[in-house]
Amino acid sequence: MKSSLLLCVALAVSLGFVLVAGYPEDSGDDEHVLVNNKCQCVTVTSKFVPSKENPGEEVLERNIRILVPLRARENISDPMSPLRTTFVYRMTELCKKCDPVEIELGGEIYKAQQSTSCNEPETCYTYNRDKCYTTTFPFSYHGEVKKVQAVLTPASCYAD
Amino acid sequence: MPALAFVLLLAFLPAETVSGRYNPKAAISSPVVGPQQVYGLINGSVTIKCFYPPTSVNRHDRKYWCRESATGCITVVSTNGYTAPGYQGRVSITNYPQAEHFQINISALTAADTGTYQCGIGINGRGLSHKVSLDVSEGPHIPEGAELFYVKLHGSVTMSCSFGDNSASMRKFLCKMEKTSCRTIVDSSGDVDKDYIGRVLLSNEELPGSFSIVITQMGWEDSGLYLCGVGVYGEQGETKQLDVHVYEEANSPQRTLTVTAVKGGSATFQYNYIPIKKSSEKYWCKWRNNGCARIIDTSGFVSGLYEGRVAMYDSPVNYTVTVILNQLKESDKGYYWCMTDEEKEQQSSAELKIIEGEPGLQGKKEVEARVGSRVDLTCSYGCKYYSYQKYWCKWSSTSCTPMLATDQSQPGPDVTCDTDNKTVILSFNSVAKTDEGWYWCGVKRNGLLGETMAVYLWVTEDAGSSTNRNLDADPELLNVDPPGHTKSDFIPQERASSDAGVPSADASGSSEQSHGPNALVLSLSCAGAVLLILVVAFVVFKYRQLKRSDLVSVGSYRTNISMSDFGSVKEYSATNNTCVQESQETRIGEDELITAAAPPESTAETKKAKRSSKEDADLAYSTFLLTASSKAQGGTGGDSTALAVPPPAWEDQI
Repeated sequence: MKSSLLLCVALAVSLGFVLVAGYPEDSGDDEHVLVNNKCQCVTVTSKFVPSKENPGEEVLERNIRILVPLRARENISDPMSPLRTTFVYRMTELCKKCDPVEIELGGEIYKAQQSTSCNEPETCYTYNRDKCYTTTFPFSYHGEVKKVQAVLTPASCYAD
Repeated sequence: MPALAFVLLLAFLPAETVSGRYNPKAAISSPVVGPQQVYGLINGSVTIKCFYPPTSVNRHDRKYWCRESATGCITVVSTNGYTAPGYQGRVSITNYPQAEHFQINISALTAADTGTYQCGIGINGRGLSHKVSLDVSEGPHIPEGAELFYVKLHGSVTMSCSFGDNSASMRKFLCKMEKTSCRTIVDSSGDVDKDYIGRVLLSNEELPGSFSIVITQMGWEDSGLYLCGVGVYGEQGETKQLDVHVYEEANSPQRTLTVTAVKGGSATFQYNYIPIKKSSEKYWCKWRNNGCARIIDTSGFVSGLYEGRVAMYDSPVNYTVTVILNQLKESDKGYYWCMTDEEKEQQSSAELKIIEGEPGLQGKKEVEARVGSRVDLTCSYGCKYYSYQKYWCKWSSTSCTPMLATDQSQPGPDVTCDTDNKTVILSFNSVAKTDEGWYWCGVKRNGLLGETMAVYLWVTEDAGSSTNRNLDADPELLNVDPPGHTKSDFIPQERASSDAGVPSADASGSSEQSHGPNALVLSLSCAGAVLLILVVAFVVFKYRQLKRSDLVSVGSYRTNISMSDFGSVKEYSATNNTCVQESQETRIGEDELITAAAPPESTAETKKAKRSSKEDADLAYSTFLLTASSKAQGGTGGDSTALAVPPPAWEDQI
């Protein structure tokens, strides 16, 4: 009983901290971005909203936005593959931070990866605008069929 | 219940990113930024600038200007070459990829043009766009829209405002619009908001009533609407709206925003810039509430307080300016700006924090040396600089010129790091007065300059102290050693005997008188005189030895008597010569009386000689030798038998 009371008190104090610290100078609609996955087209943002039960209180609300590309192919690099009918979204995979982040330790800057198991290949449902996607297709010319390389996202494939 | 509460609490935690970077939704929602409200006059024209992050795909992708309607956004004009009917000839769209924006011009405005539009990239309605509200009115005066600034994250923005001559004396300010009021960021009286300390500078321009504000290290929370003005907000005065948007460019190199350095060590600041004109004047200054105090600039100016402590290197090749500040003190912490006189170039700033600790390079900070002497400046580096390049350079107000130095440690095949011989030495074989000044020992790797240590070399003139002169003169005297072993025995004994204060043997005299620059010359002449005397004495001695004369000690000289031709040789070998002589005199007889007269005098003289100058001593010695030889010859007449045998033996000995 005592320990649980203590726990509750600690929780209340830390809640207070979070609420107070969470107020920036101008407390506007500060939505934080947690996930911005361009491969699967998912964004997760969070912000404080007044609680429904108790409007005086503020609770943390998470907004998950998923754009499902219904006309996507199984393999986005191959337009001849069949249409994709199954879309799987896993929060743990989406919340992984595999991009190396620069942190400072003892005056030197190091690049560090924040999550483990980042080596697994990701299946993408849509195109990432910053990447260039190409495919080869059979091109028939003068009776000869040649494999020709074509660009799927022309705007992303410029050299400069 | 507590467990659930804890789980809820844990849910808060992922809200913060590990690096603590505040990433608002605005960062991802609409990277295309444009004016929110545009005003135009009937039959007039209007220009809309829309900014976008300068990635490759954005620069090449289709740009459009579309009008919002119930069914979506209908394209008015696009960079693919399409112009909607009804807009032919009066609307145009131009892309400026280098300036990160594209521009839409609409002329011959009509009231029907009023409405909501979107400027964007890619495909209509996909979200990569910005909503613009166009208002076409009749009235002669239209409100001026806000000036748009598109700033890179962690970059800097320069905003200039001008309000006419009569506002030259009024208070100038910049404030940020918030829900209820406008929060003052900086004003001309030196008041700076706490979130902007070290980051904002207000400076007056040439034209009266105009000024510019520079804000560096822009973060996400700096986006928003600002007002620059004169007077006081809400009361009398004029204002101008500034709309600032911060965008993030992926893969941009992380610049050092904060430099942490050890007290007593050194800090290296690197500033990147994008030059418009090459080789512009740059200067480095420390941020103050009401300005920036210049420390060093590319023209060679160095502030007096920072003499020998700071150096600036401009590298036009990779557009970086490197500034090194060493001999750090607690008071050095603060914000340091690298500024250029030209506008539009990036002014950048960095914060310096001082912590406790040991500097990585150690050594004597002040070295004193005399002109012409050899001096070594040593700098010890720790094991962490094992793989770095080390260098010594001479500091001047324009730069630090590298000098040749030797690295004591040999890079060998061993893996351990031995801290004993890790020094870099700068040697001067013969130091000159012009070598006086600051010298820096430093490390660098891959062209990036690292830690440095400053040493000041004092060079003093030849006016040395007396003790120095003596110490120099005496070894010289000792070195002027005449060839005989006996002579060297003479000199120290002579000095020892005469240092009771008896005046004027030249050698002792020279050791006593010592002042002035002529001391060296004087001592050298004294040494020469002594040498001459010694040579004479040696010659005489040798002559006497040839004639079978013997060494007799005068005073405390070492006695080396081998006078076997004398009967009283034992008595001779006794220490007290005077007694011996007297006994001999009495024995020898009348002949000797004449000469015997001499001996007492000579003995007396020899006695005196003990205390008097060396010359007299030598003279006394010589006379004694003469008398001794005559006695010997006379003696042969007396005790012939005793003496007869020894002489041949003596000769044999000789």
